[in-house]
Amino acid sequence: MKIIVLCKAVAVGVSDVKIATGGKALQYQSQLLAMNECDEYALEEAIVLKRAHGGEVTVLTMGSITTQNILHLALAKGADRVIRVDAQVQDSQAASIVLAAALGKLEYDLVLTGTQSRDTLSGLAGITQVEMDGEKSIRVLKELGGGRSARVQLPLPALLCVQTGIQRLTYVPPARMNRARQQPVRSFSLEDLGLAEEQVVAQGYHFLDVFPPTRTGQVQFLEGSAQEVATTLFAKMKEVM
Amino acid sequence: MSGDILVIVEQWKGQIDGITYQLLAKGAQLADSQGVGLSALIMGHRLDDIVGDLKDKGMNTLLVIDDPELEQAGAEVCAAVIAEAVRQVDPGLVLMGYSLVGMEMAPPVAARLGVTLMTNCVNVENDKGEFVVTRPLFDGTVHARIALEGKGPAVVALQRGPTPTEQLPSKDISIESITVDLKAVPVRSTVLELIEAPESEVDITKADILVAIGRGIGDKDKLPPIEDLAQALGGIIACSRPLVDLGFLSSERQVGSSGKIVAPKVYIACGISGASQHLTGMSDSKMIVAINKDPNAPIYQVAHYGVVADLFEIVPALTETAKKN
Repeated sequence: MKIIVLCKAVAVGVSDVKIATGGKALQYQSQLLAMNECDEYALEEAIVLKRAHGGEVTVLTMGSITTQNILHLALAKGADRVIRVDAQVQDSQAASIVLAAALGKLEYDLVLTGTQSRDTLSGLAGITQVEMDGEKSIRVLKELGGGRSARVQLPLPALLCVQTGIQRLTYVPPARMNRARQQPVRSFSLEDLGLAEEQVVAQGYHFLDVFPPTRTGQVQFLEGSAQEVATTLFAKMKEVM
Repeated sequence: MSGDILVIVEQWKGQIDGITYQLLAKGAQLADSQGVGLSALIMGHRLDDIVGDLKDKGMNTLLVIDDPELEQAGAEVCAAVIAEAVRQVDPGLVLMGYSLVGMEMAPPVAARLGVTLMTNCVNVENDKGEFVVTRPLFDGTVHARIALEGKGPAVVALQRGPTPTEQLPSKDISIESITVDLKAVPVRSTVLELIEAPESEVDITKADILVAIGRGIGDKDKLPPIEDLAQALGGIIACSRPLVDLGFLSSERQVGSSGKIVAPKVYIACGISGASQHLTGMSDSKMIVAINKDPNAPIYQVAHYGVVADLFEIVPALTETAKKN
């Protein structure tokens, strides 16, 4: 089975967020880029499926060359090859156009990706388990919320969005990471995908403002020793009980 | 009907999901401010009871698609049907819930219509005739206000928020059937089974006091102090999703958009950062106490009392105080 995992490199420790000129994107500082958590779970699931059913796993990401560290991590975790689309597209709908074009260049039976990225928090629904049901279809268990779920059968090729917790995250020893860094990374440009920059911009909206979220609860911070805080809290709790 | 605010009703086996009432309340505000009507779309089969429940909930028009094929239809079919209904109705804006169901349906609805999609929004408002959404970014540490531009009804998916307390005024409602040719809807997936939530040993939705833990707990062997606190207070332990994923606690104790929605008298959040999916599940609580070392943790957005400290210092002290009293 040929599995492609879409993994996003997301900024961690973001600060100084501003609206870029034109109002269609954001600028910000970040401490580092890391593999989006849900996508890492999708990768773990892909590796489990490969070990159970054979085949190969390709990890695809989109971004500048600084995103390649997540591809090295993917190789260290067991991906067979990795590809980077050399484009920086913030908007989720525009990113879908690029990723779809990249998938159009590749062969696959199954595409896995995480439900939501921690930077844009845009998301799609999740799948909690995958099991094979003959060669040409799969059955998935899908969360519906509130403990409810649905069992769904899908023909291949299919794309599944994976929740956190579908597998355990595996630890990668430093030596394996070092070996992964020596492996080649294939790349596509937008031109390779038959796309122009103006096709993959945010459409239909512009940013007005960015700000720290409003504290709707008007939090009162309690200070003092642990015992003092505990005494105050307990008294407050008794008032509402 | 054209230009109306259109709310997509979410229901499970004849029960309307609470998020629908939030959407209707918000939709009513937007409709009044724009001088347009409020419509709602319900789809499924044997909908008479749901139609009866909805018809006095503040809308001008209730659009009904009732078809046996929709009784157990998957998201693939539902999204196609909604898109076709939107083409027929031509609303000014489409409001959906950002539930797990809405997360899956909103993108294909928007893609089929070729319109802008804004998901995971905490608010949508009318600002001088423009629809403006507010949504979180970067783990919820930043919010952005985004103006929607022209062309076609945007699809906006709203997070669960506080349950509306005010009854929307009843209006003279028009109940109309819409027909969508389901045979023309390409379907690849098959829903084999819809599974109810399993019987729980505990029901966190009924507790007056919840002591909730998140990743700040560290290891599973750090649970005992939390158990002691819950016992001393006469409460129940709950948790955020990561602890279920790690296998520390069962999913019946999970609070959040993919778990349970709770509103106890007291919610003590220990080592929970406050991801938006979690806040969705507990922000209605009467008194929220957040204990987290990070003063910028999003949990403080909804907390009434905050303690920026090591939870393993505060929790034992609170347990001791509770036992003495």
